[in-house]
Amino acid sequence: MLRSLYLKSIRDRWVGVTVAVVSLFLVVWMGLWAYSGVDEADTYLQQMPDEMIAMLGITRDSGTTGLMFSTMFSFLAPFVFAGLALSIGASAIAGEERDGTMNVLTSAPRSRSRLLWSKSAGLLTLMVLGAVATWVSYEAAAQLSGADASGLDLGAATVQTTVVSLFYGAVALAIGAGTGNRSTASGIATGFVVVSFLAAGLLPLFAGWEDAAKIFPWYYIDAGQPMINGVDWAPMAVLAGISIALALLGWWGLLRRDLRAGGGHVSIMERLKRNERLGAILTRLQGKGSTRGIITKSLSDQRSITVIAGGSFFLFLVAMGPMFKALGDTLGDVVDSMPDALLAMIGYADYTTATGWYHGEAMSIYGPLMISIVVIGAGAALVREEKLRTIGVLLSVPMSRAAIALRKLAAMVILAMVVGVILFVGITLGSAVANLGMDVGNIAAAAVMLTALGLMIGASAYFFGGLMGKHSAAIWGGTGVAVAGWAINTFVGVNPDLEWFAKISPFYWLLHGYPLDNGIDWTALAVLMTEAVVLAALGLWAYRRRDLRG
Amino acid sequence: MTDAPAIEVDHLTKKFGDFTAVEDVSLTIERGEIFGFLGPNGAGKSTTIRSILDLIRPTLGSCRVLGLDSRKDAVEIRRHLGFLPSDLALYPNLTGKQTIQYMANLRGGVDWARVDAIAERFGADLDKKVGDYSSGNRQKVGLILAFMHNPQVVILDEPITGLDPLVQLEFHTLMREHVTAGNTVFLSSHTLSEVERVADRVGFIRRGHLIAVERMSDLHEKSLRRVSLEFPAPVAATAFDGIEGVHDAEVEGSTVTARYEGSMGPLLKVATDLGVLSLNTASVDLDEIFLEFYRDETVAADAGGAGNAAEGDAA
Repeated sequence: MLRSLYLKSIRDRWVGVTVAVVSLFLVVWMGLWAYSGVDEADTYLQQMPDEMIAMLGITRDSGTTGLMFSTMFSFLAPFVFAGLALSIGASAIAGEERDGTMNVLTSAPRSRSRLLWSKSAGLLTLMVLGAVATWVSYEAAAQLSGADASGLDLGAATVQTTVVSLFYGAVALAIGAGTGNRSTASGIATGFVVVSFLAAGLLPLFAGWEDAAKIFPWYYIDAGQPMINGVDWAPMAVLAGISIALALLGWWGLLRRDLRAGGGHVSIMERLKRNERLGAILTRLQGKGSTRGIITKSLSDQRSITVIAGGSFFLFLVAMGPMFKALGDTLGDVVDSMPDALLAMIGYADYTTATGWYHGEAMSIYGPLMISIVVIGAGAALVREEKLRTIGVLLSVPMSRAAIALRKLAAMVILAMVVGVILFVGITLGSAVANLGMDVGNIAAAAVMLTALGLMIGASAYFFGGLMGKHSAAIWGGTGVAVAGWAINTFVGVNPDLEWFAKISPFYWLLHGYPLDNGIDWTALAVLMTEAVVLAALGLWAYRRRDLRG
Repeated sequence: MTDAPAIEVDHLTKKFGDFTAVEDVSLTIERGEIFGFLGPNGAGKSTTIRSILDLIRPTLGSCRVLGLDSRKDAVEIRRHLGFLPSDLALYPNLTGKQTIQYMANLRGGVDWARVDAIAERFGADLDKKVGDYSSGNRQKVGLILAFMHNPQVVILDEPITGLDPLVQLEFHTLMREHVTAGNTVFLSSHTLSEVERVADRVGFIRRGHLIAVERMSDLHEKSLRRVSLEFPAPVAATAFDGIEGVHDAEVEGSTVTARYEGSMGPLLKVATDLGVLSLNTASVDLDEIFLEFYRDETVAADAGGAGNAAEGDAA
């Protein structure tokens, strides 16, 4: 192993890991504080049916603290950890190639194998340190908020989350090392994470399909109920073994291929297009890179991501209709036996109705996720010209800064609307296919609300980019608003006494009025749109005034 | 607008936090000239250019192009201006052709016959994606973008990076043609030979201070040349002292090296009297000329630069 490279890999990423750890700590602390204020929670917990308790992976004695950690370990913590691992893994070798720094790195008399192993060791160290730190921070948060977490094995749940995350990291590392293409590596690994998450969550709901979920790594995050039973070591060992095998596969590829020298970056789309049969379809789908104007060029820059995110979202929405039909009976019984107040508290929509089903799945999780992916990229596109240093050439044309900035903003608005339209058509079609008889007007209202959320999040990215002139500030600012907003609404929103606090979250305004049942909540729409307009205006103002980079 | 100088920089100061990149720089570039802007790395060349282009905003002072204010009239200026940034970056997913189309569309159209003619002269391959280009080919696309709309003023920041000598020659010819037609070129470079070959006037910037602006022909006239003389026998150490136009004569046995300006006559006279055997002359390069003629200013700039850094530390 190369000590200096190993240490540099850690130095490059420790800030990201620290931010993740601190964010998780803050969310847990805030959540425990909000949950502990719900007095009736323990009563509800006692009334909860056994199936539900088992699904949450806690015991009746663990109380609100257990509920909180269950929500944490089933969604946010694994997504953050998997995201970290795959981003570090994808960049390990392929990142150096994309940046062109591989040329310098390989001029040192050290073998490719040692480069890879040093980078892998860096990934492993960072993830283990991050895991230990979060575990400690969870316990600290429990102490600070006076919650009783003694009956919960938080360490075991963290171990399982970390092993699964490292698996996704190994997938990204192997693809990155084997192909030298960072975006292919992170793209495929991210897709795998999302598919696993959906499959592990949805497949067990269908009779006869329970075992199919077990082929997806995500399933093992809470397999064996680690918070009660401790670590389930057998599947962990298997996952670790496969992770090592993947790394070896990446190594094998790395030793046999040409290294890239930066610049000549080939996107996933380009690679797929080289396949004759796929190429013809994809070229048509992607269209010609438009050079007509700034708006069309910006739209075509975002086309791949929009087609992938929007396309999968659309299929998901349509499939949700028949899925609801198939589920109706199984889930209905469970939900029927639960008190309504409890359902509201743990953020579950009423899954016995089609609108509740779409609200809980499409509007609360998948929709915001998909629109965020699209609008954050589009909101950051203006400042990306500075990162790519193309702004010098772009601003040599006779257009004002404001004119260029407004066109980039317009592209973001159009893309948010595209995702809104996808939601509308997808749910309408899903409802029609399964004959659910949902109100088309309300579906349109939901689409408008989701679009407004997208505009607010996209405008946040635009604001941070305009203000700070750094692409990463725009991306992380937008992501931060989305994640913090989601966390605040999910965890603080459970406590009716803290509704004032939940209102700072855009998700509160998106979801609180249940647009699929009640149509547009005009106040909520006005709040989201005002926030979006103010953020965009401030971003534009700052952009016009400051020095440009690059 | 018609009579105004091509570029005016008026007491420009630009600070980045505590660091002063450019301090009180003033210069005027008339129409129809190639102005060479010379200085070592980090001297403030790009900062000056980026201020003229309104990419960054002056801390003090102002810039004008064709009499138009660089901030207020930024859009109008760009109608008549071509720009090639240093270390050029373009959109990697577009081909050269698409890049030119994009920028042409944003300009509201250009004369494609002109684009084709320039591309042909440079032998630019426009069909590949920019991401797959060599740096030279990317630079050719950048030069096409800078010249395609026949701009009255062209600002080029390190233009010959990556270009092979033949293309460099073609580029210099194009630049001269462009200026002969009444346009202006502002050429920033740290390549002395390039500036020496093509510029009509040259400005020398060092540590954010403009040291001097000189006409190229004047510079050559008063430029120093180096001479080395061989004698049959050792000469006295003081033999060449005090001769008109001769500087820094050094005697080493029977070999004498010296630098001189103006006529060689007085030097030759003494040398002939001493029975000189052979004589070699060479030009001193531009850099040395500046250091020689503007020694005081250079020292002041260096001291000033150091002073700024010290102030920065104190703050």
